[in-house]
Amino acid sequence: MSSRRSRSRQSSSGRITDQQIDDLMSKLQSLLHEARLGSHDRASAAKVLQDTCSYIRSLHREVDDLSERLSELLDAAGVSSDQAACIRSLFM
Amino acid sequence: MTISNGDGDSAAKDGRRERKRKRRAEPSLVKWKTEGEQKTYSSKLIEALRRVRRSSATGAASAATDHSRSRAVREAADRALAAAARGRTRWSRAILCGRTLKRRVLPRAGRPKPVGPARAAERSKPPALKTKARVLGRLVPGCRKLPLPSLLEEVSDYIAALEMQVRAMSVIAEALSAVGGAPSPAQTEGPI
Repeated sequence: MSSRRSRSRQSSSGRITDQQIDDLMSKLQSLLHEARLGSHDRASAAKVLQDTCSYIRSLHREVDDLSERLSELLDAAGVSSDQAACIRSLFM
Repeated sequence: MTISNGDGDSAAKDGRRERKRKRRAEPSLVKWKTEGEQKTYSSKLIEALRRVRRSSATGAASAATDHSRSRAVREAADRALAAAARGRTRWSRAILCGRTLKRRVLPRAGRPKPVGPARAAERSKPPALKTKARVLGRLVPGCRKLPLPSLLEEVSDYIAALEMQVRAMSVIAEALSAVGGAPSPAQTEGPI
């Protein structure tokens, strides 16, 4: 993978330059944000970090909401329905 | 799963033969998108949810607030997610160590920053970038003091794992709400 090669350049030089970090950053973040941000140029490293922070926070919020929903559902579900849900979701 | 592990191992061996330097294997992000990984995670999560339900049923029934139950669910989900990472990443190890790293407030008196020629390269980063990187490090468990390149690797793996967690939990929630029968009052049959 090309990211491995770029990392080898960093370690061999002993000094991690800004440029290499920026490269790594845009590469990683564009991988993750391809669905969200579209295909325009993300030049600013600060924006990338900012977006990543917001994205992680929104993911945390989603997980919290889902946890709340699951805890309510657990309360309501009977024993056999648990097993049915297990079987059902395994087949999904 | 073993096939992908084998591929990663052989690729790492080739790299090691070419370049003589120690390098830890990079966690691949692809596995978080595979259906098999999600199904494994879902079944582990359902087991954990059953334990939560059993423990909350035997304990104080109504005194167990919704908050404490949903927190228990959240922690079970996170622990199952960290276990799925197989100890390859810092965030997963931090979660499995009991999450104290994330919750605890480290006493920092003035942040002693060694200023000198050795740190010149780091100081070339604008302070705004450092602040944002620090915020990011706080969001990911166990990654507060990480230098930026390692932090970014952890972040990308963490995000991919979180996305899988959201997908798996949505599926389970749908399955449970379908089986439960009565539609819960808060939720409509809205877009999910």
